Amino acid sequence: MSLAPLFRTDAADPAIETAVEAACARIAPTWPLDQLIAVNPFWGWTAEALPTAAMRVEALTGSRLLMPRAWYLEQWHAGHLREPHLRAAIAADGADCSVETLLAHLFAPAPEPARRALVTDVADAFRDTVHGLSWCDFVAHTLSQHCAAFFDEGQAQLGPDRERGLYPAWLDGARHDWSPRLLMGFQDYARLLARLPEDPYTVIAETVALLGVPAIQREAYFTAVLMRVNGWAAWCAHRRFQARLAGGDDDQIVHLLALRLAWESMLYRGVRSDAIGAHWSAAMAAWPWADRAAESAQRLDWLLQRALELAYQAQLAGRLAAAPATDAAEREAATAPAVQIAFCIDVRSEVFRRALEGVTPEVETLGFAGFFGAPIDYRALAACSARPQRPGLLAPALRAADEGAPAGLGARRRARLERRAAWKRLRSASVSAFSFVEATGLLQAFDLLGASLRRGRPGPHPDGVGLATAEKAACRPRIVGPVSGGTLSTAARADLAGHILRAMSLTQGHARLVVLAGHGSQTVNNPHAAALDCGACCGQTGEVNARAVAALLNDADVRSELASRGLAIPDTTRFVAALHDTTVDRILLYELDTLPASHAPDVERLRGWLDAAAVTARRERAASLGLAPLADDPAELAEALEARARDWSEVRPEWGLANNAAFVVAPRERSRHIDLAGRSFLHEYRWEQDEGFAVLELIMTAPMLVTHWINFQYYASTVDNRRWGSGNKTLHNVVGARLGVFEGNGGDLRIGLSLQSLHDGTRWRHTPLRLSVFIEAPQDAIDRIIAKHERVRQLVENEWIFLFQIDSETGGVAARERQGWRRVVAQDRSALGGERGLSAIGPLEAA
Amino acid sequence: MGAGMGDEQGVAAAIALAIPLLLTGSALFGGGRTANGQLGRAGEAPWQRAERLAAGVFALACLAAGLELGRAIGWIAVPSAWPVVVGAPAVSPLGLVRIDALTLTMLLLVTGVAWLIVRFSRRTLDGDPAARRYLRWLQATVAAVTLLVVTDHLLILAGAWIATSLALHQLLTHFEDRPAALIAAHKKFIASRVAEVCALVAIGLIASRVGSFSVTQLLAWLEAHPADRRLEAAAVLLAAAAALKCAQMPFHGWLIQVMEAPTPVSALLHAGVVNIGGFLMLRLAPLLAGAEAAQLLLVVWGSLNAVVAALVMTTRVSTKVALAWSTCAQMGFMLLECGLGAWSLALLHLVAHSLYKAHAFLAAGSVVEQYRIEALLPRKGAMPLRRWLGALPLALLATLPVALLFGLDPRREPSLAVLGPIFVLALAPLVAGGLAGGAGRLAFALAASVGLALLYAVGHAGFGALLDWPASPVSAARIAIALTAFGLLFGVQGWIAARPDGRLARALYPRLFAGLYLDDLFTRLTFRLWPARMPGAPVDRPVGIMPR
Repeated sequence: MSLAPLFRTDAADPAIETAVEAACARIAPTWPLDQLIAVNPFWGWTAEALPTAAMRVEALTGSRLLMPRAWYLEQWHAGHLREPHLRAAIAADGADCSVETLLAHLFAPAPEPARRALVTDVADAFRDTVHGLSWCDFVAHTLSQHCAAFFDEGQAQLGPDRERGLYPAWLDGARHDWSPRLLMGFQDYARLLARLPEDPYTVIAETVALLGVPAIQREAYFTAVLMRVNGWAAWCAHRRFQARLAGGDDDQIVHLLALRLAWESMLYRGVRSDAIGAHWSAAMAAWPWADRAAESAQRLDWLLQRALELAYQAQLAGRLAAAPATDAAEREAATAPAVQIAFCIDVRSEVFRRALEGVTPEVETLGFAGFFGAPIDYRALAACSARPQRPGLLAPALRAADEGAPAGLGARRRARLERRAAWKRLRSASVSAFSFVEATGLLQAFDLLGASLRRGRPGPHPDGVGLATAEKAACRPRIVGPVSGGTLSTAARADLAGHILRAMSLTQGHARLVVLAGHGSQTVNNPHAAALDCGACCGQTGEVNARAVAALLNDADVRSELASRGLAIPDTTRFVAALHDTTVDRILLYELDTLPASHAPDVERLRGWLDAAAVTARRERAASLGLAPLADDPAELAEALEARARDWSEVRPEWGLANNAAFVVAPRERSRHIDLAGRSFLHEYRWEQDEGFAVLELIMTAPMLVTHWINFQYYASTVDNRRWGSGNKTLHNVVGARLGVFEGNGGDLRIGLSLQSLHDGTRWRHTPLRLSVFIEAPQDAIDRIIAKHERVRQLVENEWIFLFQIDSETGGVAARERQGWRRVVAQDRSALGGERGLSAIGPLEAA
Repeated sequence: MGAGMGDEQGVAAAIALAIPLLLTGSALFGGGRTANGQLGRAGEAPWQRAERLAAGVFALACLAAGLELGRAIGWIAVPSAWPVVVGAPAVSPLGLVRIDALTLTMLLLVTGVAWLIVRFSRRTLDGDPAARRYLRWLQATVAAVTLLVVTDHLLILAGAWIATSLALHQLLTHFEDRPAALIAAHKKFIASRVAEVCALVAIGLIASRVGSFSVTQLLAWLEAHPADRRLEAAAVLLAAAAALKCAQMPFHGWLIQVMEAPTPVSALLHAGVVNIGGFLMLRLAPLLAGAEAAQLLLVVWGSLNAVVAALVMTTRVSTKVALAWSTCAQMGFMLLECGLGAWSLALLHLVAHSLYKAHAFLAAGSVVEQYRIEALLPRKGAMPLRRWLGALPLALLATLPVALLFGLDPRREPSLAVLGPIFVLALAPLVAGGLAGGAGRLAFALAASVGLALLYAVGHAGFGALLDWPASPVSAARIAIALTAFGLLFGVQGWIAARPDGRLARALYPRLFAGLYLDDLFTRLTFRLWPARMPGAPVDRPVGIMPR
């Protein structure tokens, strides 16, 4: 790890626009609550090694991307972290540090995070912040309120003029704001506000000139300013991301920067103008000092973090290497399984798959991204718009819609929705609310009781609203054509089907039943519910994708077209859509009425296996949910889980993807013998069947990025929940109907995971480890993909993820480092596995 | 009438007294002992006990109400003079408890809501390090409210009101490290203390005139004597105290800003505590009925507040804060009804709003699902003014038959001269929406209007039977002020709906968004006179800040 300056000071003077663009590019997008997918909040930092990026982030924000030192000490005392791990970490890093130094460091208290000061910080030095508001809090609050009003998507009925953008709208409204004068005693506010230019770029340029920020420091300064309002910056980044995905652009993030800088400039001019200049110069002069403080404060802690990761990797690498050998000939000879079930790669699937495989050897399970390769959006019956059902990084290509509904049902649903909306408007209209409450309030007693006794949800489910159960059952989501309209030819549909089957490594040996199991959670009254659903389906359940793809693969025309291209699916093979309910661990099978009678016995047997597996999976999860006493009573346990799922007061319906740590890209035989404890994403992949490694390239550029996003969102939300997580769920207050939450009254928009999703009140349920990716494929194939895709190279070489290769022949494991491959579990040790593998991890074990 | 005390009423009174005592006992001793103040997992004993106790207390309240109802139906003809209650009012034991329809209705409401809130808190607070303290103060708050509801003694009532406020303060500052929580709680602290001084002075005036602290004695005295300036002054002070405690503008800021406490605390505050001002008005209704100044104060303050807060609510950007503004407005409306002498409707409003708001807060996490449902439909455009105005005659047409059916007559019940028109105005958005679509939508809008009118009339009749108090005359000034205020609200809303980007909307928006600066002014005053103390410095520190 180098001790070079964190921020360069030697480059030429860049234009302000360049610095603005670079600062904006640092901010990762956040998705709205109804499509809440995980994002690495530092997606704009991957060009740097993570430890370096983390030091910069600390210098700019005061947030340390590591656990408190006391936590590492706990790991030490608990035996998760031991001396060999420290030794290995030092060796892997090439750090100039002895184990003794690191140990002493582990027991020493950590210095508090340091950060570069902004003008708001300097202005606060002139205030009594014990008996009054601080400028930092005040500016954050008032700016956040304006952003919420400007970006609002349905909470308020009356909002600001949005025509000219965020910054001009603020200028308009700020003239009517008395709070800076009344609450902060800012007498010059009105005068200074009037002097602000109308154009956001002008205010940015004027402010850095006024403050005398050196050209070379502008990017860092802008980044620090944006990260002070990180929630709204992330929302603006989302707007920009979506606009660019659609071929356009959006510059509200620049407006946000201008707005925050306008405050810097007003405070600089208006707060103790006699003295602030000198204070500000001193603060700026101390910026490099903050950088150095941040660097020295966390340099050794990264070794502790790395040691913990090595400990986990050693164990897992050893076990993967120890997989019982199955050669290709053996696989060919084996009879086809009775059922193949493809689950999402989600870590929660692993628990269920292991349970199911334990129930019967006749079921084969696979892992694949839960959108099943269908880049669709979905327009529900009677809906005016479509929602995404595909990974957030992809633009939609295809449209799914409900088919099979009886004539007129769409119009009937629309009418019911209209009536509902009319009722809702009456309730919220200012002139009506009084009489409405008086007339209907008493009836709320029934809703209150119903929800409290967990008899029902606080409101209908959006998917079923306006539809009776039978009507809902009649609606069958199908891929209807391209997003742009029109229909898909049989050839195009066969292209899609073939692509999906190849990506799943499902081109031969089909079972009589092939189940596509998407997943979804079941929670009520939870603003972050979408975060528990399928990330590959953009925070929706996988139901639509599973049903649409199963129907596609059962289509006779598609199959004959595929057969003519050499990809034959036996007539006896039927695809069935399913949904894995991750909250209660139950599998729901869809559209069984479309199956021929010949498959009824197969379905019956499958149901039996699924029920048995559900019992096992629930028992495994019971303790983590505080239901250990019910673990051995399947009926009671299932009932208790159902009750949790319906409980409107429940803040921990399930643990979601907490404790995720690894991503295994290999045939299931590689991991089938291991209890991965629900910590590993699993993707089915057989490189022998992958011509030109196109599938591997897809996996490494899509699912691997998605799993990294999930992994690093959990990481960031855990190490600093105040900044990168959304805080306490009991305080959550939804903003703008879906933008995000406030924690309490206001403050910045809060993104990331809540405290309750990570911590059980006693301890962290997520151990922040960077993702360890294990791929069973030839090294040169992996290298070619790394070389071809810059982002993948960055993630791997800058230690945002750790990449390992498993050799199919020998079972040996090698780690991909910046310099190249290094064997970490050798062939002859492959049988040892477990803890023994540890000794094999270390720089001296070069292949 | 008189205090002829049957056995059943003795039982009801004993139950009424037992409820606050049980809750207090549990608050003091029910927490269990754990080393670090944390209450284990949600399944463990203290929560289980608290939940059982809360359910038990609600069952007791049901029992008391059932006994009294049976007594009333079986034995007593409704007497004619007021205060008439279900059965004769009874003061017992030791003159501490007053059992009447108002007491029992409030007791049912408070214990019922408290039960659901304890139940909700159990899982929501799971793992919270301060859960033990939370549970203790939650029970203490409910104990104080129930004591306030059942007592006949004015000093106990005032004491319980103070205790409610102090116990709630502990819940509002549950997260001690949040500056916003401390500022809001501090503002509430100041407004509450001012209100309590008003109330205590008023009680002193009453006792000096009537010679007793007993509510029952006071009401008896009022029956026998004409209005009196000293009591009128007391009534004005009490009305002011009620308005202050009901978070009426400009003292509303704390109510809006206490989203800094866990969701169930908000539910408790909005459903069970903030409306106590209304209860006080009802408890001493005969005193107010004789004091035109007090009623005028309630009408002016209540209606202005209702209108302004309802408009501000439409600019709010977060769920819970919008709900808080709605409460502020609804409390204004309840006080307006008190000012109009519409006692039974005020009680209906109090109860209905409590249930409505408790549900709204506890279900605040469902708003994203609501959004998803709304996103299924295209956004609504502007609503032409002619449709808005055209809706009025239709709304009137839908309301009149119901009014006739139920014999609602403003001549017998003068407050209806205000509340009737407000009801018709309230139907306008529904009917106007119906006018926008085909015949089916209009039919639905009209049917829904008739349905709402029926519900309203039934509620009015039911609560009218509960509090069968004679109507008192309402001065023309009060009627005119209230009608003007709501007519204005109707006009502004219609105009903005018709021209969402028009000049009125553009001019009003920033001012409404700023809450008309009222809270800023009040907060500044508190910063000046008696600032709150913030928690320590944030964990990260900027580098290079020179000492001053």
